[in-house]
Amino acid sequence: MLRPLTRLTVSLRLARAPTHAHHGFPAAAAAPFTTTTAAPLKQMPPRPKPPPESDLEESFLKGSGPGGQKINKTSSAVQIKHIPTGIVIKSQATRSRSENRKIARSLLALRLDELANGDQSRTAIVGGAKKKRSDSAAKKSRRKYKKLAEEAAEATGKETTLKQAEEVDVEEGKAAEQEAAERVMQSETGNNTNAQK
Amino acid sequence: MPRLPPSLFWRARREISPMATYLLKACRDLESTANELRWIREHVRATPSPVFPGLRTWNLCERRGKGVPLQYVLGTQPFGNLDIKCRPGVLIPRPETEAYTLHLASLLSQEQQSSPAPLSILDLCTGTGCIPLLLLSSLLTPPAAPPKITIHALDISPLAISLATHNHAHNTALNLLPPPTPQTPHTLTFTRANIFHPLPAPPHHQQPGGTIDLLTANPPYISPAAFATDTSRAVRNHEPRLALVPDTSTSTLTDYAAAYNCLPQDIFYARLLECAAELRPRRVFLEVGDMAQAVRVVGMVLRDGGAGLGGYYATVEIWRDEPEVERVEMRRIAGREVGVRGEGKGRGVYLFQGDV
Ligand SMILES: C[S@@+](CC[C@H](N)C(=O)[O-])C[C@H]1O[C@@H](n2cnc3c(N)ncnc32)[C@H](O)[C@@H]1O
Repeated sequence: MLRPLTRLTVSLRLARAPTHAHHGFPAAAAAPFTTTTAAPLKQMPPRPKPPPESDLEESFLKGSGPGGQKINKTSSAVQIKHIPTGIVIKSQATRSRSENRKIARSLLALRLDELANGDQSRTAIVGGAKKKRSDSAAKKSRRKYKKLAEEAAEATGKETTLKQAEEVDVEEGKAAEQEAAERVMQSETGNNTNAQK
Repeated sequence: MPRLPPSLFWRARREISPMATYLLKACRDLESTANELRWIREHVRATPSPVFPGLRTWNLCERRGKGVPLQYVLGTQPFGNLDIKCRPGVLIPRPETEAYTLHLASLLSQEQQSSPAPLSILDLCTGTGCIPLLLLSSLLTPPAAPPKITIHALDISPLAISLATHNHAHNTALNLLPPPTPQTPHTLTFTRANIFHPLPAPPHHQQPGGTIDLLTANPPYISPAAFATDTSRAVRNHEPRLALVPDTSTSTLTDYAAAYNCLPQDIFYARLLECAAELRPRRVFLEVGDMAQAVRVVGMVLRDGGAGLGGYYATVEIWRDEPEVERVEMRRIAGREVGVRGEGKGRGVYLFQGDV
């Protein structure tokens, strides 16, 4: 059961790996990017289904400009509002408008699941596993970037200081976490394709 | 454009990354700067190269910071489920084009579900080939794949034709477009042609006298004056003028403007409606720049210059940016009630032989 909410804005940004994997046509050879399909998470609760389209109000966030040929925007942010609860989800995770629409719906499904199931929601359970993985990913990436920065400094003769390497490291740590979230989403969007096959 | 305050550059440096200071010059706010940096990094990660990733990222950020469109820097733009390659010299596909292309595909799919039949489509001014490629991919998605699809696309620019051909192969290799099979025979051909000359004879696989089910075109539709004042700098400085502004230095085009008594930015529509009158496609969709242009094009369809098109097409509509939104207002244009469909800015004129 859902508690009615006044208005709650959830804005999540997720890293994007190439999205080609999940719309593949079954007939031909496998896409070169199938590696983005994450190994299945063990004993995770099933993916919650997005609410029906009739419960959603969608808007595409764009500037006030003329649009079309006159401008060239790089992002296709999508915002959906779940009318029964008032929850608003915005996604600008990827450069793809189609992908952002799907991601916004998946995020909404997770959010509604959290509200309904609390500790037992998919996000709560997956969140525990995700933290463990990203902690170790961050450690690995710190070592890797220090080494790469040193090599680059030698190779190019450019001044690449360890401080710069550390800045990259912090960024990459964040990205690793975001990517983990993305893998969750991808394994979920993968379900759609499976249904098609 | 107003100068950005130095404090914003400091924040970009501190809150995002030193590389973000380059991007900020082109992106102009922290949110899109962070997004674009993330997409550049993902691109570097996803495309192997012997060059150190940090240096590649740096170079890409620098190019983007100089105002080059991100799609030219990364070489791609997602379009529906497709990955469209972009190269300088060919217009980058826009999200508005993606929205109506998907809507057209869903109308055709609905029709296929009730009465499956072979489909024939003609796209003029095809550029990257984004419109016919997305139509093909969407139409081939179950459950309503037509028994046969034949698509023919034309552009005057050799750069566009070679890029469109490459995009066809690229998306087939990525498995986003299926190769033709005996169960779903489909062909998509890209041919170099000036649409102001007689259109090339349909390729051998298209039966003579066969009807065209859909004619699409996103022609150059910006006036020279609006090009100078209304286009964004990335568009003006980096995208091909040939794709955006009808070239009024040639007599072919000025003759049309004179014969049809239309504005320079509307010249292509005069010719496109002539093609429609000749080919009588069952559906026509022409992209336009704004509501005023949409109204002028509807006027051209309905008046005598439209060669009786008004009588031929039972449905004449204007589509806004989001035509899938179920909202239609009626508007009286040239003595006829015309539906204005969807939400957003006026984006195109839709003609259909049948009733909606
Ligand atoms: C606005 S772009 C559209 C590209 C693509 N259809 C899209 O939606 O992204 C217009 C295209 O028309 C082409 N073009 C310009 N003049 C033409 C002509 N006389 N005959 C055929 N194509 C022409 C340009 O080369 C350009 O690719």
